[in-house]
Amino acid sequence: MMDERILEFIGDLRRAELRISPSEALDALAATAAVGLEDRETFKTALAATLVKEARDRETFDRLFDLYFLDLQALGEGVRRALGPEDPRVQDLLDRLTAEHGLELDALTELMLRGGASEMEMAIRAGGRQVGLERLMYFLQVGYFSHRIADQLDLQAVEADIAELLRLLEARGLDPGQLARIRNYLELRLEAFRRMIRQHVERELERRAWRQGERLHREALGDKPLFALTADEVAQMKAVVARLARKIKDALALRQRQEQRGRLDTRRTIRRSLAYDGVPMEVRLRRRHRDRPKLITICDVSDSVRNASRFMLQLVWSLQECFSRVRSFVFVSEIAEVTQAFSTYQVERAIEWALKAAPVDYHCRSDFGYAFSRFVRHELDSLDRRTTILILGDARNNYNDPQAWALRLMRERVKGIIWLNPEGQWGWGVGDSVLPLYAPACDLVRECRTVNQLGEVVDNLVQHWWRRGR
Amino acid sequence: MFQSVEEVQERFRSARYIASRRIATVVYLAAQMGRPILIEGPAGVGKTELAKSLAEVSDRPLIRLQCYEGLDEGKALYEWKYAKQLLYTQLLRERIGELIADAPSLPDAVARIAGQEDAFFSFRFLSPRPLLQAILADTPVVLLVDEIDKAEPEFEAFLLEVLSDFQVSVPELGTIRARHVPLVVLTSNNARELSDGLKRRCLHLFIDFPAPVEELEIIRLKVPEIPAELARAVVAAVQKIRGLDLRKPPSVSESIDWARSLVILNAQRLDPELVESTLTMLVKYEKDLERVRGALDKVLAS
Repeated sequence: MMDERILEFIGDLRRAELRISPSEALDALAATAAVGLEDRETFKTALAATLVKEARDRETFDRLFDLYFLDLQALGEGVRRALGPEDPRVQDLLDRLTAEHGLELDALTELMLRGGASEMEMAIRAGGRQVGLERLMYFLQVGYFSHRIADQLDLQAVEADIAELLRLLEARGLDPGQLARIRNYLELRLEAFRRMIRQHVERELERRAWRQGERLHREALGDKPLFALTADEVAQMKAVVARLARKIKDALALRQRQEQRGRLDTRRTIRRSLAYDGVPMEVRLRRRHRDRPKLITICDVSDSVRNASRFMLQLVWSLQECFSRVRSFVFVSEIAEVTQAFSTYQVERAIEWALKAAPVDYHCRSDFGYAFSRFVRHELDSLDRRTTILILGDARNNYNDPQAWALRLMRERVKGIIWLNPEGQWGWGVGDSVLPLYAPACDLVRECRTVNQLGEVVDNLVQHWWRRGR
Repeated sequence: MFQSVEEVQERFRSARYIASRRIATVVYLAAQMGRPILIEGPAGVGKTELAKSLAEVSDRPLIRLQCYEGLDEGKALYEWKYAKQLLYTQLLRERIGELIADAPSLPDAVARIAGQEDAFFSFRFLSPRPLLQAILADTPVVLLVDEIDKAEPEFEAFLLEVLSDFQVSVPELGTIRARHVPLVVLTSNNARELSDGLKRRCLHLFIDFPAPVEELEIIRLKVPEIPAELARAVVAAVQKIRGLDLRKPPSVSESIDWARSLVILNAQRLDPELVESTLTMLVKYEKDLERVRGALDKVLAS
């Protein structure tokens, strides 16, 4: 019964992009069963321990938890007492009474007399389903749906039943004090039930709004052209990119564990054994060499594509363990290495630095040709066949000399060049865009206007590009 | 092992470890469900201590595997005592000679030696490392895998394998299954992200710096001779220092050390001079020290 509720809760957590596996869901059920429902905080801890594995997801969890699980405290002291285990004497009395008179109470009245809070909640949820609570959309409908649920559960009949009970009690000449207590008890419970209905509907509305908002927001951000992001959105996007990086990393972690130690290195073992009269006292193993690629990123940081560069740098540096070495260069027309910043600062701060304070002139017009020729002059010797160059820029050269020869020269030295263009494909080669001149030197040219596209491209690179027949 | 969350709390307290309700709940669940606990949190909040106390209250021996970069299966699981094997073969050379003396052909001789292989690949020549120790143990144990984030991702994957079925296979000896499923505690300082698989497998517990009330309780428990007034002042000051955006905020163990040193100095209350001279117990980086000194009056304001 409660399980169903928990599973629904897990469904919403998943929709909020918490990664929860079926085994974790089962754990959650087992854990809550082990601690029971009596203490809300303990119950919450049990769910959190099994479902929330990242500190950053905790907030989402807390918010959703409150939307899902009834907080008896919030209903007020009197109500809570009414729903708690009531004076056993009252219960006894009611039991005896119904037995003696052979009263046929319907299930709901029964629930009202004896049921616990969670059972009541289940009844309300069932009622909600019956009246189509999923159609709830606006705050104004809360009253309407609360009434519909009450009607559906036939609260009027329950009230009549209860009145009947009280009349019977009175007829039996129960002492007025006790009668008042029972009446008070039943009325309180009825009131509590009504309030629970209303709370249920309200939370349903909140949940719905939250779900909607969250989804729209995420979709919108992920597909919004990077140049159009506001400062606020840039801040939010950092989280999106971090999530992306994690996703890619997770996918990689699924790979089979690589053999840690290689096979026997016969040559070195035998050479070593000479010292022990030919007895191979020390075994030498051939360490399996893992060929992680070197990566060089070259980012245009002029205004038009700065956001794209920002997120690509963040992505690449968060995925650092996929590469043996990452070096980053930024340019507008002068080109400068910013790798140093990343080893001193945290990724995000380093990026801010690279985009604002690197030793390049941020105010001139971008000149790809000049940047590439400078790069060739200073860095050509550091390139080798394990290196991949990732260039990010719109190739809008402001009618300067494209100097495509420089890029071709770079290509001859490295494993490959990949060009990501934050501009839509329709613009390539139009106006001052010289991408078609650069494209022949590149192994891959991709459009990446949005964060989602960026994620796809980088994911693809990590998964395929470096594994394709080295 | 435990009947209720309250009992966990109770027993940890008698082992001089203040477990919040949250911590106690997770420990209780781990014991009930037989799941490893993954503890994350800043350094010095008592992650390792929790494992030690757990061993103490559950009356089990503690086996500790300290992770570091470059830790591999050989150091975590088992290694053949290669030199010993060689030494034995050398010493037994004659015996081996006898064995194959009357072998009619080379293949026969090889077959005979192969028949004796068991003698050299037995537990006698195996040196079990912490993981195998935990699996071989005759009595239930608590296995502490400390600072798992320091080990490489590959090791993590291997550990996951061991943790999911508590059996290992040593090719020469066959599969060894744990006689008792150990209670496993993993700690991480979040030096890097752990893999999803491992997190999925574990109950997750995030321990943060304790709330003032808890910290006060901890200090009075660990430094019983401290005057009540001073203890309160210490906690208040530490809590404020943590709010200062330091490179490394003072941990619980450091505040305990601080409290202890104040007691040794016979302090009754905190005055700026005293704090100034003992601050290095609490704050370990030069930059941080400067910052705290600069904000000293704010820290001591009540």
